[in-house]
Amino acid sequence: MNPISTNLAVRRALNAFACVGLALVCSACTTIGPKPWQKDLMSRREMQVGAYALQAAAEDHIYFSKEASSGGRGFAGGGCGCN
Amino acid sequence: MQLKSRRRRHKVRESITALSAGLLAATVSGHAQAQDAGVTDNFGPGVNYTEFDSALLVYQESGSRVLAIEPAGTLTLHGSSGAQLSVEVVFDAVSGATPNGAVPSNLTQTFMTPVKIITPGASGGSTTVTGSSGGSTVITLPGTPGTVSYGTRSYTVAPNMLPVDKGFNDRREGFNFSWSQPLGSISAVGFGAGYSTEKDYRAITGNARISQNFNTDNTTVSLALNAEFDSSSPYGGVPTPFTPMSGDWKKPAGKDKTQLGFVLGLTEVMSRHWLMQLNYSFDTQSGYQNDPYRILSVVDAATGEPTAYLYENRPNHRQSQSIYWDNKFDFGPSVTDLSFRYFTDDWGINSKTAEVSERFDLSRSMYIEPSARWYQQSSANFFHNYLVQGQALPAFATSDSRLEAFTSLTYGVKLGFNLTGRTELYFRGGYYQQQGNGHPAGAIGQLANQNLFSGTNAAFGFIGYTWDFH
Repeated sequence: MNPISTNLAVRRALNAFACVGLALVCSACTTIGPKPWQKDLMSRREMQVGAYALQAAAEDHIYFSKEASSGGRGFAGGGCGCN
Repeated sequence: MQLKSRRRRHKVRESITALSAGLLAATVSGHAQAQDAGVTDNFGPGVNYTEFDSALLVYQESGSRVLAIEPAGTLTLHGSSGAQLSVEVVFDAVSGATPNGAVPSNLTQTFMTPVKIITPGASGGSTTVTGSSGGSTVITLPGTPGTVSYGTRSYTVAPNMLPVDKGFNDRREGFNFSWSQPLGSISAVGFGAGYSTEKDYRAITGNARISQNFNTDNTTVSLALNAEFDSSSPYGGVPTPFTPMSGDWKKPAGKDKTQLGFVLGLTEVMSRHWLMQLNYSFDTQSGYQNDPYRILSVVDAATGEPTAYLYENRPNHRQSQSIYWDNKFDFGPSVTDLSFRYFTDDWGINSKTAEVSERFDLSRSMYIEPSARWYQQSSANFFHNYLVQGQALPAFATSDSRLEAFTSLTYGVKLGFNLTGRTELYFRGGYYQQQGNGHPAGAIGQLANQNLFSGTNAAFGFIGYTWDFH
């Protein structure tokens, strides 16, 4: 088998693997998690994504201005103040 | 048959019991909060209310380096239909000393930068600036008193000290707004924009996002797109890369950069006690990415003494990706937040971040939250502590410690007070510490005795106040 067709086969196998993986993740998502009446703890502020946004933004700004990595929980940038 | 029926009845009874317990818990929780608040209203989905969020950050680096004071405020209007409008204002006042990129030397070093001043005397001459410029000498051009002159500011650094420019002073004003709402069968669509301006930098951002809930709202998939346009207009103009540091005013006056990116997110309520968020981010930047004030020392190949200072040069393009995984666990009596991030870019930087916080309720209205963060990055492939005289210049070079290999640790603690069911006041203090290799192998001559890592340590304090009202 020549290298080009080997690469093609590997790429197809990876695509198939990714599709099957995605389908498994999606189907798993529909079966996990609490019932609506079991979400009392999720309603607490500290359990919510994006709670204390100003605190997270201030800390991200410190790290953004002193380290080479940025972003992750959201977009980085939007000004500097970096020296 | 009877057995089957009994089992079914048992199962129904179990479900009703669980449902009742859940409703009871929710009612008790809501009632307790209302009692705390001394009011009978609620805030949350399906209710019109306004959220005011304000904060003040004070950040101070050791050795009288950067001091930053950053107040910020956000007003968010929540509609009963799920629509949300948010407006944010943030200010920064930054001053102090910042490393200029040169290496320490066992001799006194002198650096020159451009300056624009109002001519003080009848025939120009020299004057000395004190205070924030730390004793720098300003050499003015002859000119009419009261008119603006363009000249050179020089500052000296004592032997064996890290070269820093003490004349650094800037402020920033930033404004952001965002809007989101459900649209037909789509859970939420939204857009936002931002504007940030400094004396020498301006950023304009725009973003759009869409999210869809599934699985009785336990699963949320989201996609957010971001575009940013930045303009850098450094004090003294844009220096040509690898030219000697000078006090000349340079051209062009400014250069631009564009940034495009997206974040693909999955949020999953894994169980009654566990919330998980997984984000993949992609970002690409094109344009001017140099630090216009930063230089590199060119040192003698035998003694390691600096012979020249050249402006740095970074690639015009940068592409980065990251994976961020955050988990919140509420197993009582504490709430744990545990997150990891892996970041990689085509400048050769790979980084790992792990962060954990643990919130303990000390009483119904008071909590304490210690936290720790560990971060480690590799060096950009064009990082050099210094360049060597007589050797060919590399295509790109920077001595910025933000682009070299180091590890950082952050320790912090937060103390929060739920003043009422509607208001919260919290204080957070922390210490940030960078650790790098100050004595790299092969350091030339006198450099072997110097600490070449110019990273920083800093203490920060944060006060936050939130208020929900109708």
